[in-house]
Amino acid sequence: MITQVGDRTSRWTADPGFGVYLHIPFCRHRCHYCDFNTYEGQEGLHLAYVDALITDIGNCDPGGRRATSIFFGGGTPTLLPASGLARILRAVAHNVGLDPGAEVTVEANPETVDEAKFDALLEAGFNRVSIGIQSLVPEVLTRLGRTHSPERALEAVGAARRAGFEEVNADLMYGSPWESTSDWMTSLEGVVAAGPDHISAYALTVEEGTPLHTLVASGRAPDVDPDIQAERHELASEVLSAAAYERYEVSNWALPGHASRHNVLYWSAGDYLGLGAGAHGHRSGRRYWNEKLPREFVSRVSAQRSTESGSELLDAGTRAGEAMMLGLRLASGVQLDEFTRRYGPEWLDGRAAVLAQLEAGGFLERSEGWLRLSAGSTLVANDVLCRLL
Amino acid sequence: MDQAQQRSFAVISHVDHGKSTLSDRLLQITGTVSDRDMREQFLDRMDLERERGITIKAAAVRMTYTAADKTTYQLNLIDTPGHVDFGYEVSRSLAACEGVLLLVDAAQGIQAQTLTNLYLAVDANLEVIPVLNKIDLPAAQPEKYAAEIASLIGCDVADIFQISAKTGQGVPELLDAIVERIPPPAGDPDAPLRALVFDSVYDVYRGVVAYIRVVDGSLKARAPVRFMVAGHDAEADEIGIMAPDSTPVVELFTGEVGYLISGIKDVSLVKVGDTVTPRPAPDVEALAGYREPKPMVFAGIYPINGDDFPLLRDALDKLKLNDGALVYEPESSGALGFGFRCGFLGLLHMEIVRERLEREFDLELIVSAPSVGYEVQLDDRKKEIVRNPSEMPDRSRIEEIYEPYVSVMVVTPSEYTGPVIQMCQDRRGELKEMHYLSPERVEIRYHMPLGEIIFDFFDQLKSATKGFASLDYEPVGMYASDLVKVDVLLNSQPVDAFSTIVHRNKAYDYGKAMTERLRKLIPRQMFDVPIQAAIGSRVIARETVKAKRKDVLAKCYGGDVSRKRKLLERQKEGKRRMKQIGLVEVPQSAFIEALRVDSDSTSA
Ligand SMILES: Nc1nc2c(ncn2[C@@H]2O[C@H](COP(=O)(O)OP(=O)(O)OP(=O)(O)O)[C@@H](O)[C@H]2O)c(=O)[nH]1
Ligand code: SF4
Ligand SMILES: [Mg+2]
Repeated sequence: MITQVGDRTSRWTADPGFGVYLHIPFCRHRCHYCDFNTYEGQEGLHLAYVDALITDIGNCDPGGRRATSIFFGGGTPTLLPASGLARILRAVAHNVGLDPGAEVTVEANPETVDEAKFDALLEAGFNRVSIGIQSLVPEVLTRLGRTHSPERALEAVGAARRAGFEEVNADLMYGSPWESTSDWMTSLEGVVAAGPDHISAYALTVEEGTPLHTLVASGRAPDVDPDIQAERHELASEVLSAAAYERYEVSNWALPGHASRHNVLYWSAGDYLGLGAGAHGHRSGRRYWNEKLPREFVSRVSAQRSTESGSELLDAGTRAGEAMMLGLRLASGVQLDEFTRRYGPEWLDGRAAVLAQLEAGGFLERSEGWLRLSAGSTLVANDVLCRLL
Repeated sequence: MDQAQQRSFAVISHVDHGKSTLSDRLLQITGTVSDRDMREQFLDRMDLERERGITIKAAAVRMTYTAADKTTYQLNLIDTPGHVDFGYEVSRSLAACEGVLLLVDAAQGIQAQTLTNLYLAVDANLEVIPVLNKIDLPAAQPEKYAAEIASLIGCDVADIFQISAKTGQGVPELLDAIVERIPPPAGDPDAPLRALVFDSVYDVYRGVVAYIRVVDGSLKARAPVRFMVAGHDAEADEIGIMAPDSTPVVELFTGEVGYLISGIKDVSLVKVGDTVTPRPAPDVEALAGYREPKPMVFAGIYPINGDDFPLLRDALDKLKLNDGALVYEPESSGALGFGFRCGFLGLLHMEIVRERLEREFDLELIVSAPSVGYEVQLDDRKKEIVRNPSEMPDRSRIEEIYEPYVSVMVVTPSEYTGPVIQMCQDRRGELKEMHYLSPERVEIRYHMPLGEIIFDFFDQLKSATKGFASLDYEPVGMYASDLVKVDVLLNSQPVDAFSTIVHRNKAYDYGKAMTERLRKLIPRQMFDVPIQAAIGSRVIARETVKAKRKDVLAKCYGGDVSRKRKLLERQKEGKRRMKQIGLVEVPQSAFIEALRVDSDSTSA
């Protein structure tokens, strides 16, 4: 079945739909900077995991809502055969239901896809693919612990296009200590030339517990420089906007009409099911997360135990604060009347003074009922948010 | 004991010349402290004294000594501090003595506090026994310095004792000289009691313990007494002597030194310098008291955690009980919150108070930049005392600002006369006197603003003279000066904790130094932060903390919003501990660092 992707907004919305996130916690090799919930060398577990995930999908309660966006993330979902991913998607369609025009994304690692696989995925109902490219400079890729070549990454974009994917995202990463400005320029231009309709570009962060962190902490690799990263972000904005991409979120750009629904749902504090090992979900102010270890996840399912390992119930203030924290990341900002309707007036009222101060300081802007970060403070969003929360 | 067999004396000297070590030997030879109980600088009992290796509080102790002729004497010894901040302890100790041992380090010769303390003793009409100490040191030059001392006090070189307090060499002979040369106390045993309170401490269990010297008459245990000046009546619940621990006695006789506990819990009722008389009060004159020690340096003390303010108040109240020189009153600072403006004798005193507060009361503190106290003549003829630069009245209202001046004495090898004079001139000094102690050594006297010397003068003096010069000073009054207040502004907001008052010619240097220091200490914010130093509205120095361009924007993977929020919350928690100056967030550590006074400069 081929579904047509419906109306896409890149703006914050009080009703972003209903999402489903599915986590595939496997990769062929772990990248040096990665602290995601993913494991290498567990090939023997893949099939059991797919079965467990499908069982768990059968156990979940969508509360009568149909998915408007589905996101297969990882890890490397495409490490699984297309048939496995197709079975999982069918389970979701069966148990949750898909809105006509639902966005169905799969993350893909260039090494694990070709045109045939994309054909199969498209056939299974995926309509959006997100390809982890990170860089088009071999040296930088090697240092990051990425094992694919630049050519392979670009080829993956081409293959997706040829197979007929209309929505293709390219994931980039900037500001690693080994990357020069011209390296970054090379990556940007190369990706633009490949013509995805969506580009995510994140600054490399050195997360604790990663091999990169060990290198940096022991002085064997230079630390990232936030000033340089800021410059890279600006360069990305220039290059991408010249190529007609609009930045609709701090780190996400899209051609008009091609923003990711699932992304906008996250940033609009929407509800979504989290399925699979370590996935997080959110339902009306209740956040929960699943057992992280794939093996443990599988055994819980087979023992008919809940896969949920923790949750928190947000009080009204926290919920509103979270919504603001997420919403301000969208370039549109937050629609204040809608925000008030959804979270009540207390949160904003209680912060009138700080808001006024931040507006007067030029960090926040308000126009036609929308509150947003000013262009200059996009990159210091944390600082602004800390003052607001 | 019979007055004729009593000898009361103090050991005085320049800092570190060996007073406490000599006291050790005296305690040992007289058997007051057994060899087993002996430890170095026995009388330095406070932890801080032991850690810093200096005496902070004078300590009195009674010893019994049988001389060669088999006569037994009662010796009352007072070990005094040498540091300039605690000079008032010396002068009050001298009031309980008939003589002094003037100690001079045989490797260093006469130093500034040698002179100051000698003059105190001479003024008090005390017998001075000159002693060269540390003759065991290879660098000792006893002959040379004996000549200096002889010409200073007009005695014969042969009259100067040469000892080693460390090895004990020459100390027995010194003991005999104490008995021979120091006169017994002159009081009248038949007159009504008059006892001088020369020190007091507060004991949590026993209340105020007054250290007294019986000048006339005698004091019996349980006798009703009156503190004359305070006009307070009490009972002598317990009297006793320090030998060296408190030992109760039934009577303290004329000339004796001891303690008096009278159940008084309020220290203000037992003022050092008061006279204890019997009750009903006889018609006697109060003994000459002391000037109360005057605070010379002021600084704000603030708890890092604002909730600790009441704890800080309690702590100061308690500390004050044992530290009469400490004064304080509550104040508030826009930047630092609620705290106390405290007055200290000097920077060492300030350091010690701070350390005791932190250590004994478990407080974390910020101490604002110390300053001297000013007097401001306003145009409406009113005078105002300003102890906190940020409280300086508006410039338009000021007719004249007066600052404290001190008479500074520097003793230095004469080859450094030039640099020393240069330094004093640079610091607005006025040469008063130069006096050669010997062809090689000179005593130089200047009048200078106190504000020019308390901070780093001593350090600079030491480095200008290869460590040979010594320094002492005493207040001589308030004089008008061309002073200005320098404000420091962050993002155009003045930060009171950084305001200071300096001479107009030094304003620029201060402003530049402070703005540079702050630029390095203030973390980058989400906007440029100008740091300015200004006199009134005129900016004299400026630095900028460049805006932070990016904070962490990690990917929100797998919808893990909780983690993202918690990271922010943690970040926010960190920020809560910062002081907010307008939109600028300043970590406590920046205040602490910026306001830190180099502790080396406190060791004058
Ligand atoms: N070699 C030698 N060292 C001595 C002698 N007397 C004292 N010292 C040393 O000199 C230093 C200072 O001695 P203290 O007895 O603490 O001096 P002080 O005069 O009491 O010092 P303040 O109370 O701080 O003024 C210590 O390190 C002593 O060990 C001596 O006769 N010979
Ligand atoms: S491919 Fe992605 S999930 Fe897998 S190790 Fe690399 S960064 Fe982590
Ligand atoms: Mg001593």
